[in-house]
Amino acid sequence: MSVLLEVSGVSVTFDGFRAINNLSFHIGEAELRAVIGPNGAGKTTFMDIVTGKTKPDEGRVIWGKKSVSLLKMNEAKIAQAGIGRKFQKPTVFEDQTVQENLLMALKKPRGWLAVLAYRANVADLEKAANLAEEIGLKEELARKSGELSHGQKQWLEIGMLLAQEPRLLLVDEPAAGMTPQEREHTTDLLLHAAKTRAVVVVEHDMEFVRRLNCKVTVLHEGSVLAEGSLDHVTSNQEVIDVYLGR
Amino acid sequence: MQRSFISRNPSVLIFLTCLALFTVTVTVMSEGSGVGIISTSFIKTLGKTLCLCLIAVAMDLIWGFTGILSLGHFAFFGLGGYMIGMWLMYERTRLIVVESLSQVEIPPTATEVTDAIGNQIFGVVGSSDFPLIWTFADSLFLQLVLVVLVPGLLALVFGWLAFRSRVTGVYLSILTQAMTLALALYLFQNDSGLRGNNGLSGLQNLPGVEASQDVVSLWFLWASALALGLGYLLAAWIVSGKFGSVIRGIRDNEARVRFLGYSVETYKLMVFTLTACIAGIAGALYYPQAGIINPAEISPIASIYLAVWVAIGGRGRLYGAVIGAASVSLLSTWFTGGQAPNIPLGFYTIKWVDWWLVLLGMSFVAVTLFAPKGMGGLVDLWSKRRTPNRHGADLGPSDGALREQEASQ
Amino acid sequence: MIRLFLAGLAILLSCLTASAQDADIQPILQEHQSVIAKGSRKTIGPAIHAIATSGSSKAQSVLETWAAKDMWMRKSDGMFFIGKQAEAKTYVLTDFDSGKVVGTFPKQALKQLKPNSGIRGMIGAALVQFQLMDPDKDKRQDALTSIQRDPAAAMLAPLRASIAGEEDAGLKSQKQRLERLLTIGYDQDTKARVAAIEEMSGDLGLDLRATLNPLVATTRGVALGEIPKDVNIATHLTPGSDAFTTEDAYDFLVRHALAPPRVSRGDMRAALTSNIDGGHAGGIPVVQLNTDAARSRAYAALAEAGTVPALVTQADIDAALAAYVFFDSYAETSDEVTTAARNALKSIGLKVGVNQALDLTLDALSLASIYFLAAIGLAITFGVMGVINMAHGEFIMMGAYTGYVVQQIIPNHTASIIVAIPLAFAVTFAAGVAMERLVIRWLYARPLETLLATFGISIALQQLAKNIFGTQARPLTAPGWLDGAMVMNDVVSISYIRIAIFILALIFLGVFVFIMKRTRLGLETRAVTQNPRMAASMGINPGKVNMLTFGLGSGIAGIAGVAIGLFAKVTSELGNDYIVQSFMTVVVGGVGNIWGTLAGAAMIGFLQKGIEWLNPSNTLAAQTYMIVFIIIFIQFRPRGIIALKGRAAGD
Repeated sequence: MSVLLEVSGVSVTFDGFRAINNLSFHIGEAELRAVIGPNGAGKTTFMDIVTGKTKPDEGRVIWGKKSVSLLKMNEAKIAQAGIGRKFQKPTVFEDQTVQENLLMALKKPRGWLAVLAYRANVADLEKAANLAEEIGLKEELARKSGELSHGQKQWLEIGMLLAQEPRLLLVDEPAAGMTPQEREHTTDLLLHAAKTRAVVVVEHDMEFVRRLNCKVTVLHEGSVLAEGSLDHVTSNQEVIDVYLGR
Repeated sequence: MQRSFISRNPSVLIFLTCLALFTVTVTVMSEGSGVGIISTSFIKTLGKTLCLCLIAVAMDLIWGFTGILSLGHFAFFGLGGYMIGMWLMYERTRLIVVESLSQVEIPPTATEVTDAIGNQIFGVVGSSDFPLIWTFADSLFLQLVLVVLVPGLLALVFGWLAFRSRVTGVYLSILTQAMTLALALYLFQNDSGLRGNNGLSGLQNLPGVEASQDVVSLWFLWASALALGLGYLLAAWIVSGKFGSVIRGIRDNEARVRFLGYSVETYKLMVFTLTACIAGIAGALYYPQAGIINPAEISPIASIYLAVWVAIGGRGRLYGAVIGAASVSLLSTWFTGGQAPNIPLGFYTIKWVDWWLVLLGMSFVAVTLFAPKGMGGLVDLWSKRRTPNRHGADLGPSDGALREQEASQ
Repeated sequence: MIRLFLAGLAILLSCLTASAQDADIQPILQEHQSVIAKGSRKTIGPAIHAIATSGSSKAQSVLETWAAKDMWMRKSDGMFFIGKQAEAKTYVLTDFDSGKVVGTFPKQALKQLKPNSGIRGMIGAALVQFQLMDPDKDKRQDALTSIQRDPAAAMLAPLRASIAGEEDAGLKSQKQRLERLLTIGYDQDTKARVAAIEEMSGDLGLDLRATLNPLVATTRGVALGEIPKDVNIATHLTPGSDAFTTEDAYDFLVRHALAPPRVSRGDMRAALTSNIDGGHAGGIPVVQLNTDAARSRAYAALAEAGTVPALVTQADIDAALAAYVFFDSYAETSDEVTTAARNALKSIGLKVGVNQALDLTLDALSLASIYFLAAIGLAITFGVMGVINMAHGEFIMMGAYTGYVVQQIIPNHTASIIVAIPLAFAVTFAAGVAMERLVIRWLYARPLETLLATFGISIALQQLAKNIFGTQARPLTAPGWLDGAMVMNDVVSISYIRIAIFILALIFLGVFVFIMKRTRLGLETRAVTQNPRMAASMGINPGKVNMLTFGLGSGIAGIAGVAIGLFAKVTSELGNDYIVQSFMTVVVGGVGNIWGTLAGAAMIGFLQKGIEWLNPSNTLAAQTYMIVFIIIFIQFRPRGIIALKGRAAGD
């Protein structure tokens, strides 16, 4: 299995606080990975670094077959390279319809001239409709996304991620605030997505992680504490200490 | 989505129809057409108001749709005015100079003509040489190009610097204000090459045109109406497509747009530059009707007023900007022109000349607090659009994001 | 050596004066009787000199009487007396020497001497030597001042003579200094002058530079062939250099009528115009004369015919310049003196430069403290609440007007300022709290809307002030003890008001740091700044903290207003003049940190003064460049000089 993203020896410090400490992490093409860890373990900062929001003090972040360094790229370039990110809080463009949200996310040229000249064609509209169907929002296409329920917004955001056709999906706590049925739907969406691309899910909820049934990485104080199947890591004494407190 | 642009944006058609009706009505009632119900000076006021509406549309694009509160667009407006003013002044002075030199016995050389023009124009600032920036002043075509090019270039350079370093929110507003102030102060100098605080004057006289001001004012009214119509159409077209989606996305949640792979800085820069060009065109049409331009016109306060118009009209909707600019600037003319009747209170008489600004300031605060939709909200009442109840949350985390009350379903 | 010599001279002179105590003055007057009676400025000189140097103790009183037009001549014998009107047409005469009344005479028997202003000036100059030794200190001071104002060679000897006898230490040092200056300017002995110059070089006094500068002033001269021997040459000029172009050189010759003037375009046209003959000028049709080339040809034709002077060609110019030498020469003939003066001026220039830098630093410091005062309130509200208060300038204005109103009620300036400062704080604090409660609170987390809403308040307040106080400037007078300036030397000085403002800024800094670090309010404010939600969950009421900080920020603006009003005009636009600079200060300094504001104010103050110094003629340009600089600065430090880092800074 070839490596898609390789993070090695990354550290970052905020005002003396070491949020990420010599972290190394890699993920292959078409792999589903869950990242767990207590609060302040550096999960979100890790995502910030990969997506270019935060620049690390040291270390390397290497992407894809051509082994490009992501550190020299800005957020937009990284996203164009094929890394999609879903935030903890659902962030969709609430003033715009579900359709507009999806069309904006569709994989198309991102330059301003191309976008200015762009008018939606039948194929794109169909794509958007299919995605809407997949995330269960077919009926809501013409509604402003601000009116959707919390869960629907989460799905719309996942749908937008899928529309971007990224090679790596970073998903931050997708199941937060969802009903059991909605969780199930979310799990299906993620499992389906992971068949064709790499997906990293940051999650607190062990039940949800168990359902994903994938390799788990445990972060603690900015570095990897344990890695392996869920059963493997949950039986690790260090992990138990961290989660239950010493 | 298969429907035509107009059918998706019925307000555009309504607006254009109203504009056309307005122009025709005013033309018929003007002195230029012989009816004379509307005085020529009021025609000029109306023409100028149309130009202000055009820059308000530009302001709405940058603030209402992209979420950048620029406090510098009047700088671009003024620059446009200066560019056309240079040609008007040069050409008119040239005609006068050639006329007067033809009276002397020996025909003048080219240098003598240029020197005489320079003397006429720059005598007030104690100079007679043409500064470098007047190089193209003899060519109408080149100056017209500069009307768009100079504001556009300034916006491009300034915007590139500002957006590149990710200056946003109030910081950016203050920075644009500083830019305007710097430009105004620069132009106030006598050696800026644009006649210091004298500015350029006599712009209402079109060189080589024999027609009276009654007719010329109509021409400008038509040109302004045409420019406003085209500008509105362009703006509506831009915001209706995916580009519009992206810039509204930037307004509400800049970071999210970035993670979608759009280069937010480029989009902002493009909108900033485009609106600067529109502002330049509006200025180039405004100042020949005003007759004079000086650096005081581009002081920071003018740009803030622009934001006030758009806010009172209702940002994020193009017709709102037009309504706001037209009503506030016309009301302002009415009140400060001394036409509004004074209100005697017995112990004190409210003179509107003195109290208009107080009223404007207070009503502006009131609009911001109680009616964020501005006058455009009245349209919603009429079309029965409802505001969603989002429990006091804005539409996104960015500083320029729409407020709950501004959104509609 | 020189001092010794001078002392000797002084003693000698005083001996002379003493020994001639008893000499009568009337004979001397009679010796010059006809000249005095005639009263012509041209011929009177020897007479005045004779009186002044007579050594008689009466000389001073004679001269004073004469200058005051109280000296009368008896027509019968030509004797001079002090005349005093007795009745309408009669005068009482008193003898100069004896001091006794001679008698009363009718007016027609007398002639009043009415010296004209020129003569009075000469008498005044002669009187100086007496006044310099006058027992009255004020008179001595007056005499010194008059010499300082109008130094002359003749004053040198009497001045030297008066030094030894001077009892007042202050006057003595003044006299000594003046003596040095006069020595430089007028002493006969070149060595003494050079010595005086060297002794004083390095002194910063304006009077010294005023003495030295004429010595090194040059005049431009021209001579045929070679430079004359008898002049003190400063530089030998070669035409064609940057400082002295061939055109300058030729024009110089023309001005001295040593060469024919060049024919300018205007001359050419005038010549052609006056020589139009049947539609032709110089054989070329007039209509074709619209190029310089055609005009030159026509003119050349006229010149050949002899109707107009010939064109001066480049060859003519070169030949003329080759024949002459040009030079700058000193009016002062002694080369030693001019060299010494040049060197002295050079070393003074260096010292002046250093002192100017010091002066500039002081200026910049005071400007920085003004900006700091104006910006600190803004920085507080912006830092804590993320709110840009566009009406901040109007709070400054309110403070200044409060000061003005207080002064109308309490006429004593000191007392009124003491009352005005807390009152201004109270007024603007209340206004700030009201504004926070009524407007800003409802626009929480909407910084752009807040900016615009506060702008609405700003225009309303400004117009309101205009309606109440009118458009003309109102005076806010500083107490007397703040008048004047602390003068360190002729270059460095700083007015007391500015010092007071600097101290006020320091006090504010101290108070602010104290509030933030040592009080409950400060703790809560810092908590709200860093994390409002967390602070709220800890039991801090962010609403109350916001209200108080906003009030505090506004209150400080009010006090700043009083301070600014003391030296600036109090108008409704007072705030406008400072608001943009205040914004710049906050933006450059960085948000949420008082030291950032301080650094921002210092940077902007120093920058503005620095640019003004580089381009002194144009303060507008200075401001323009400063703003451009700030825009570029923001490129490199988008969050200001002192920026919050990490998560607390937010995005």
